[in-house]
Amino acid sequence: MKLGSIGLWAGVALGALIAATPASAQVTLKVWSIDGAQQPGIADTLSKEFDEQNDDIVIEYRVLQFDELVTESTRAIATGQAPDIISFDNPDFALFSSRGAMLDITDRVANSSVIKTDSYYAGPLNSVTWDGKLYGLPKYTDTIGLFYNKDMFRAKGLDPDNPPKTWDELLEAARKLNDPAAGVYGITFSARGNEEGTFQFLPWIQMSGGDYTKVNGPGAVKALELWKTMIDEKLASQDVLSVGQWDSTGFFNNGQAAMAISGPWELNRMSTDAKFDWGVALLPTETEGGKRASALGGFDWGITAQTKHPDEAFRFLEFMYSQEDRFFPEFSSIPARSDIPLPPTGNALKDAALKVFQEQLKYAAPRGPHPEWQKISKAIYDAMQAALTGQVSAQQALDQAQATIEGIVGAS
Amino acid sequence: MTDGLANFKASRSRDAGRVIAHRRAPLTRVWLSIRDGKGFDILVVAIGVAFLAVFAGLPLVYNVLMSFQQVDMFTLNALIRPWAGLANYEAVIKQPEFWLVVRNTVFFTVGSIGGQFILGFALAVFFTQRFPGASIIRGLFLVSWVMPGLAVGAIWSWILAADFGVLNYILKSLGLISENIFWKSDPQFSLLAVTIANIWLGLAFNMLLLSVGLASIPRELYEAAELDGANRWQKFWMVTVPMMRSTIGAVLSLGLIGTLQQFDLFPPLTEGGPANSSMVAQVWAWQQSFRLYDFARGATISVMMLVLVLIASIIYVRSTRAEVRE
Repeated sequence: MKLGSIGLWAGVALGALIAATPASAQVTLKVWSIDGAQQPGIADTLSKEFDEQNDDIVIEYRVLQFDELVTESTRAIATGQAPDIISFDNPDFALFSSRGAMLDITDRVANSSVIKTDSYYAGPLNSVTWDGKLYGLPKYTDTIGLFYNKDMFRAKGLDPDNPPKTWDELLEAARKLNDPAAGVYGITFSARGNEEGTFQFLPWIQMSGGDYTKVNGPGAVKALELWKTMIDEKLASQDVLSVGQWDSTGFFNNGQAAMAISGPWELNRMSTDAKFDWGVALLPTETEGGKRASALGGFDWGITAQTKHPDEAFRFLEFMYSQEDRFFPEFSSIPARSDIPLPPTGNALKDAALKVFQEQLKYAAPRGPHPEWQKISKAIYDAMQAALTGQVSAQQALDQAQATIEGIVGAS
Repeated sequence: MTDGLANFKASRSRDAGRVIAHRRAPLTRVWLSIRDGKGFDILVVAIGVAFLAVFAGLPLVYNVLMSFQQVDMFTLNALIRPWAGLANYEAVIKQPEFWLVVRNTVFFTVGSIGGQFILGFALAVFFTQRFPGASIIRGLFLVSWVMPGLAVGAIWSWILAADFGVLNYILKSLGLISENIFWKSDPQFSLLAVTIANIWLGLAFNMLLLSVGLASIPRELYEAAELDGANRWQKFWMVTVPMMRSTIGAVLSLGLIGTLQQFDLFPPLTEGGPANSSMVAQVWAWQQSFRLYDFARGATISVMMLVLVLIASIIYVRSTRAEVRE
């Protein structure tokens, strides 16, 4: 009773204090992410909600372009003007965590009543771990699969319920679907000379039994030759060398390509833009029933080591964790956790696609983590582009990449 | 002219100094000197020098220093870092794409300047002819110069798109090509594509400077040449070109500097690709610094470019010095 009245008075006093507190006493958290640039995303939407729900915290949210995220963050950290929270693409995270730029949150997470680390998939959690310590939390995950236009499959006499399962079948399907007179390419993907290109091509190396430390196996060479055949036979536009995945999949949505290799971030846009019946299949394997692999995409959250408000920043992460059941229904992003059932969206095409992507996620293999991932990645996309433009053979290109990568991995 | 003013001021301050200076406090003497003496000249020069030292000198020294150091992404704001000697230079030259980048940079620079200058000169001469709407059309040309490089890049990116681009459509309609040209994705065309866009971007600037030069040639010279029986071609070579010498020097060296600085066009068009086929030094420096986070190599490449820009600057200064003398 007495305790209750003290609590009451304390509550009133606190209320009065909050009411009387000028805005300057509020804690301002700066949050950087790429969300909200092209469509409403997780970070921008939920930052706003967190800001509204917490009178003591103001969120200053900044949208960055994908291409400037790491550069801007580096500049900010180097000059001591880092934001409190940054959301990085998962292969870039080790660049910062390995150099002490991110806050070690191992103990905070262990003591948290909200966050359970064992709910995360191993791959994404691996990307925020460095030297056995936790420097961030996965935000969401994604991967890539094969989108295909079922109407075009029917029109060309292919079975829409039996999409290509092997590399050979993929090539055959692309040949049948290709229709230059109608302005339709058989397939589209992104072989751009940047991280996107590696993101799309590395899984093919991994399917053949290789990895980023072993890129010149016979299967990897075969995969690169397959891609080259598709460009040489004009089954794919040569512009796959310069367009990113977003633009590349745009061709598919407009009916200018019959198949597309892309990921679940496309589902919202495709649901409205694609005026045809479409489906998603697992990435075809080298041989029937062969080894599966796919890209591990998705972003991570991290609190910078320079933050002056680690407690408030951690509350922000806890809030994000508590909202992850909304990620798929509202943002088409898949939580990096196994404990969140994804409810049906009411859109049959989207639900079917999601099932495939969840299956594909089991085989998603990480890029790194390695502090010099960007240089490893360049070796891979340089080799890919050198072979696809016919400057050297696939074997020569990948041998060169292998030598470069051994120099990097061996040196550190 | 500057010398004359300085002499005038100096003599005035000497006269005034003899009468007043020995009786006044040192501070007052400084003030007087600033108000109407030699001090004024020194002050004006000092402001300029200080500005240059802070905003051009320091970054330059920092950049050169960085090229001789081992740099980590988070020691960027430090001045003292482990010494690397010539290791960064060696590493840059040993990159497999080094000579390709050198070749591309030369092609891009010579192609851009050549195209901009020749077309710019032709347009400038064209617009000296009096015809209705000449000044309005000339003004419209300036639009390209006013637009930011990134926007120009985006527009050219649409024009040069292979499957649905305007340029391919036009070339096909004219029967010049039968198959689409992949301007941005074909190693044979990618560098040419960026060069064309850059020529368009710099054309107006060249035209403007050259027009000013043309306008400043006294008409009497042409009249005198006509009396001597010179034809149009002779007038151009014997009067216009010699009179334009310093303007041409300035335009070419500014063009060199502008072209070596041209970066904005690359990201929307080719990003230096495919397979480095359109990679030029400035984009390469950016890639090393801001994609691979190897800031030392990025700095090293820019120091190498600095030498080129320095040569251009010397030519520019010499050509404008000649202008003052005449």
